[in-house]
Amino acid sequence: MTEPRLDPLQRIRCEWCQGQNEPTAVSCRSCGAPLDVKNLVSDSGWREAPRIKDMTEIHFGGSTCQVEGEIVPVAEINLAPGDSVYFEHHVMLWKDEAVPMTLLPLTGGVKRAFAGMPFLISVAHGPGRIAFSRDATGELVVLPLHPGMELDVREHAMLVASHQIAYSFIRIKGLRNILFGGQGMFMDRFVTGGEPGVLLLHGYGNVFERTLKAGESILLEPGAFLYKDSSVTMEVETQKLSTGFFGGTSMNLAKMTGPGRVGIQSMYVHHAAE
Amino acid sequence: MADRADREYTCPWCGTRTDGSPLSCPGCGVKTDVRAVVTNSGWTQLPGRRDMAKLQFGNSYCQIEGTYVPVADMSLAAGDGVYFAHHVLLWKDPPVQVTTMPLKGAWKRLLAGMPLIMTQAHGPGHIAFSRDAPGEMIALPLSRGQSVDVREHLFLVGTHQVAYDWIDTGIWFQTKSGDETETHYPLGMFLDRFTAPQDHGLLLLHAAGNVFVRELAPGQTILVKPTSFLFKDPSVQMHLHFERPQVSWRSWGAWGERYLWLTLRGPGRVAVQSVFERLEGEHLNIQSHSHATHRQW
Repeated sequence: MTEPRLDPLQRIRCEWCQGQNEPTAVSCRSCGAPLDVKNLVSDSGWREAPRIKDMTEIHFGGSTCQVEGEIVPVAEINLAPGDSVYFEHHVMLWKDEAVPMTLLPLTGGVKRAFAGMPFLISVAHGPGRIAFSRDATGELVVLPLHPGMELDVREHAMLVASHQIAYSFIRIKGLRNILFGGQGMFMDRFVTGGEPGVLLLHGYGNVFERTLKAGESILLEPGAFLYKDSSVTMEVETQKLSTGFFGGTSMNLAKMTGPGRVGIQSMYVHHAAE
Repeated sequence: MADRADREYTCPWCGTRTDGSPLSCPGCGVKTDVRAVVTNSGWTQLPGRRDMAKLQFGNSYCQIEGTYVPVADMSLAAGDGVYFAHHVLLWKDPPVQVTTMPLKGAWKRLLAGMPLIMTQAHGPGHIAFSRDAPGEMIALPLSRGQSVDVREHLFLVGTHQVAYDWIDTGIWFQTKSGDETETHYPLGMFLDRFTAPQDHGLLLLHAAGNVFVRELAPGQTILVKPTSFLFKDPSVQMHLHFERPQVSWRSWGAWGERYLWLTLRGPGRVAVQSVFERLEGEHLNIQSHSHATHRQW
């Protein structure tokens, strides 16, 4: 029996990722967002990332990913043969004994370190199951990446990405950005080739997104920055605060200028405390 | 219509049998008629609990309040008692007596950084407990003769029917950096072992993040991150497992491209939490370790 052909007009478009879904679907196939909720947008234009319902399944390639738990969500991936995912190795929660592991060769030879450990990207290959989680309360942000998309992500915010997405990292330009940007020296950059892929980020607290028009700017607490389209530029702006004593003090904010999307997290790490 | 007395309901989480009339399980507080939420890979998620769910133990009951950082609010009947580590006490009625509980081998626990003093409270009266992180409260009703091994520092409160002991984890590795040798215990030096020798008891644990449990068949294994381990049945065996990924070049050296896992081998129940601490010493040069298996991809 052939599957009934669906009327393209009857498809439900996901408000979050614009993915097309069957009329019977309750959550988006590619990002897991519930399809019955409207876009939640604040008066100032920030869109709240949808809370993914417990046990929602997301599909990529031949594999599925199930998002479990709502306090500190777990992403559990059932890898199909031939599919693979990559991640920083400290986010692995559990795996089947038989899932093979390799390392992603990083180009550039720039030495990056994380908590005193060399920065390495691990790859898990299908078939088999592997699960990931992080160390604090937050949300899983599922970003399906369509061909030709380029996304910059705060360092160490990536939870896991599918093999269709190419990984690289860029050095944050300018000493001031490095010193006062509160994001370290690097940003992860994800680029899709010909095939769509999925990228899962973990944001601390709640996650909000806003689309900036060309030339439109917003100033962010640097620790709150989570991701941006690569078309969005980032620079540090220092604000002088006068206290009346000894010339006052200053604070640093990240100035994001459009066009493109900017994502933030509400529970940020203040760079002075890092 | 079937008579209430003819009906039988088994809680999918803790196995307590009731006639199905209470709205939540009197053993663990899980909503009645909740379906066990099992992931595709076979982990059961700790089911949601109605805010203000009541658990029964002895003649006393415990109400679990709040869902973000839950509070266990105990209403102790005369003659019933609970014990706890003193830092989890949230509030109490003035008449509730709090005394210390003698612990054997106290110096060993001090060495391992575990709470040296266990305090106990006696009814009648109200006393409440909570922890310092968002997470879930796990109610483990222990039937007569049942034991459970719990990772240290997760224990919130136990009822007086539950006996408390500790065992060596037997999981360690030694690292060397220069002249410095350090021993690391990924699960801590000791596991808390709780047993209900004579009577049914209640044990409350607090885990960070979400909690998942699965039943391992005899001989079945699963690899978990050592710091995410929560509790296990005493029948479950565990040991370290080193895995080396396939690499095309090696230039980083120090870390040795190695993943450190904890293998859990059935039969029995095992549980993990979704939040974990970073494993200390993992990146250092490991000189010796407790029994471990190796896998080179």
